[in-house]
Amino acid sequence: MSNPSRPKTPGRRKRHPSATVLIVGAGFAGLGTAIRLQQAGIRDIVILERAADVGGTWRDNQYPGAACDIPSNLYSYSFDQNPDWSRSFSGSTEIFEYIKAMVERFDLAQYIRFNQNVTDLAYDDQHGLWRASTESGEQFSARAAVMAHGPLSNPSYPDIAGIDRYQGHKIHSAAWDHDYDFRGKKVGVIGTGASAIQIIPELVKDAQKLTVFQRTPAWVMPRPDFETPQWQKQLFRRLPASQSALRKGLYLAHESMALAVIWDSPVTRLAERLGRWHLRHQVRDRWLRRQLTPDYRIGCKRILVSNDYYPALQQPNCKLITWPIARLCENGIRTVEGIEHQFDCIVFATGFDVSHSGTPFPVRGSGGRLLSEDWQRGAQAYKSVNVAGYPNLFLTFGPNSGPGHNSVLVYMESQIDYIVRGVKTILNRNLKSLAVRDSAQQAYNDGIQKRLARTNWNSGCKSWYLTEDGFNATMYPGFASQYARQMKELDLRDYVLTPP
Amino acid sequence: MAKIDLDKMLAKVKATQWSLADIDWDAPGADRITDEQWPRLKEFMADLMWIEHVGARAFAAMAKKAPTDTLRELYSYFHAEEQRHANAEMALMKRWGMLDGDELPEPNINLRLVIEWLDRYSDEMPVYVLGTVVPMLEIALDGALCKFLLDTVDDPVCHQAFEKINDDESRHLGVGFTVMEMQGHGATYTRMVTMAARLMDPRLILGIASYFPLLNKMRDNVVAMGLSEEKLYECMGKFEKIGGRTEDGRRNPWFQIIKLHSRWVVNRDNRLYHTPVDAIVKVTSYIPRRALPAVPSWVRELTYRPTA
Ligand SMILES: Cc1cc2nc3c(=O)[nH]c(=O)nc-3n(C[C@H](O)[C@H](O)[C@H](O)COP(=O)(O)OP(=O)(O)OC[C@H]3O[C@@H](n4cnc5c(N)ncnc54)[C@H](O)[C@@H]3O)c2cc1C
Ligand SMILES: [Fe+2]
Ligand SMILES: [Fe+2]
Repeated sequence: MSNPSRPKTPGRRKRHPSATVLIVGAGFAGLGTAIRLQQAGIRDIVILERAADVGGTWRDNQYPGAACDIPSNLYSYSFDQNPDWSRSFSGSTEIFEYIKAMVERFDLAQYIRFNQNVTDLAYDDQHGLWRASTESGEQFSARAAVMAHGPLSNPSYPDIAGIDRYQGHKIHSAAWDHDYDFRGKKVGVIGTGASAIQIIPELVKDAQKLTVFQRTPAWVMPRPDFETPQWQKQLFRRLPASQSALRKGLYLAHESMALAVIWDSPVTRLAERLGRWHLRHQVRDRWLRRQLTPDYRIGCKRILVSNDYYPALQQPNCKLITWPIARLCENGIRTVEGIEHQFDCIVFATGFDVSHSGTPFPVRGSGGRLLSEDWQRGAQAYKSVNVAGYPNLFLTFGPNSGPGHNSVLVYMESQIDYIVRGVKTILNRNLKSLAVRDSAQQAYNDGIQKRLARTNWNSGCKSWYLTEDGFNATMYPGFASQYARQMKELDLRDYVLTPP
Repeated sequence: MAKIDLDKMLAKVKATQWSLADIDWDAPGADRITDEQWPRLKEFMADLMWIEHVGARAFAAMAKKAPTDTLRELYSYFHAEEQRHANAEMALMKRWGMLDGDELPEPNINLRLVIEWLDRYSDEMPVYVLGTVVPMLEIALDGALCKFLLDTVDDPVCHQAFEKINDDESRHLGVGFTVMEMQGHGATYTRMVTMAARLMDPRLILGIASYFPLLNKMRDNVVAMGLSEEKLYECMGKFEKIGGRTEDGRRNPWFQIIKLHSRWVVNRDNRLYHTPVDAIVKVTSYIPRRALPAVPSWVRELTYRPTA
């Protein structure tokens, strides 16, 4: 993507006049922030998006079978409900359409600068401005900056020897090749996570032979997926309150799942029983069942939902391989049992680079300090949104803001409203900077880490939630309503307010 | 063999993997098997292959139960490596024209019983029972059999394959003995008693009931092949020597039990042991195949084909 011929010295950058708020990323988070800012009367916004379209996750993840695994009525914004969801768990295309429609409804296009890949974000202490440099050699600045670049936006390939040797076709789940025809092909899928279990049932219909490589089996629950009846859409359209009521119900149902997912409780055992029942019900062969039985506590990693994954694995043209992968070679994958599995195409459903400590691009705070250095031993923030030493900077999906049991968007709404409150404080009080106190951040994190120690995520399994040394900088150890409560208030005692 | 660093071992295992495709199974030399050797070698190879496969399944059980992440991962590699040995041995059989089409060679009845037992109960066994039995089997059967094979068979491809197999085996043993010592470390009298109490577990007794005759049966087969019994016993002696080289190792009650047992096996004059066990071997040979449940599906994963 980078263009080496163009000099990128700061002095030669094309500078844009500074805005009030600069947002990195036009996914759910960035767009939601823009909508709420706008509703609060703040319109001087610029959104920098590296791609040529909005949508983030749902623009990129268009693999066959892609869908959300939280019911659509909850996996959407409460301030922009959609009565027309076609299913309880809508497909990726439909979610993408919803996002694009949202951009139109709220007239957000005016703020967005596409094809602007942010490569550096730096705070100018003197002027109290954040400056974003982009790959195209331009520079944008604003009084406040929102990092909404998404936690799962950079596809990752597994660390397997010989990965570059493989000569066949390679596809990553998050960058699907829609031109590739799977019919009659021998296809390998690496990974059995959230994306893989959606892809596999689709590919097995087309591929001549599908081989699935699993490292760790996940807990897979039945998925209550239904087509939305026409009457319901009509009801929702005529009586939006009915949709809000359903949303509330779904919200509470998911909240109760926290008891199973987050802490080890009797409900956890119950959920594990449901998972095992689902497996026993769908898989008859004892060995295959053994291969698919998770050996960690439920909730420790993301819980998956699917009705057609287990049946797909048992199709005559499908095979599950649990031997460790030794390496990739020219024609395929060599596993440790000594066999070379040859493929026309390998699908990598191997997830994303999740940075627990680094940042996707250098972020320089007060006095030039580097966020990746401050985060060396694990990312930390105050209420997941602000970081000490980085005035006027806000994060969506920041450290310890991830839910394991509820819609990301529920959490996102709390963050967004908090951010709006922060920006309004800066504007209303005409501050040069609003900076969270180090001590407040410390105290907040001590509490978080203490609570995390008692959760399933920290119970011993390896997952993308944890750093290499087991530090959990990802998840919020509590109910969504607890999180929402803590985000309700912007406690100015925890901040240093600096006038111009 | 010094106590090894398991993390370094895991890294080494990962970094040095081989595949069936690394060997040219059609290279010249297959004709060096004499007509006289052929029928017995066929049976021998079938047994050997099945022992590898049974060992594989035991590692699979250990991989679920091991106390640390590193061990769990090591055991899942060893599970696959034993399968690789079985696959490679099957490829040799194919090369020597010993396979009936694509058919798996029939396991003998005692192996079938052990397979049955492993399939049903191995996952529930305490990891250290298998952790001690497996090194014993590896050193005795695997070790003795492989060495013997190389002494008798002239085919260079066979030697090439077994050089790789033996490299793997020496790592399995290194880990096996290290784990036995870990288990012995700090073993107390009470622990010894609780562990011995596990012996009373009917599932374990069933396992023992299928494992003892297997050893005697194997001994008979190997002797029929021309391997001197002493060679086999020498290897079992090695188990005793290495397993008991440290205080910790000797303190491992399972080591003591298995050691005792291997002494019985070695001592042909111990009629108290051999008369009933040999009788069981006889009796089991009358079990009709139909009486056994279908082979578990993990058995069907074996293949002689280097590529799939
Ligand atoms: C396959 C999949 C399924 C999921 N399903 C669910 C679900 O069912 N329920 C749920 O709650 N969550 C789900 N999630 C989590 C999901 O990521 C979030 O719900 C949500 O979409 C995140 O939105 P975002 O705006 O924070 O990030 P994104 O949607 O990733 O948007 C970030 C945007 O920032 C842009 N960007 C990144 N870096 C830069 C840069 N340097 N410069 C400029 N622009 C940049 C990206 O191009 C992207 O458009 C799923 C995630 C995936 C991958
Ligand atoms: Fe072996
Ligand atoms: Fe071995």
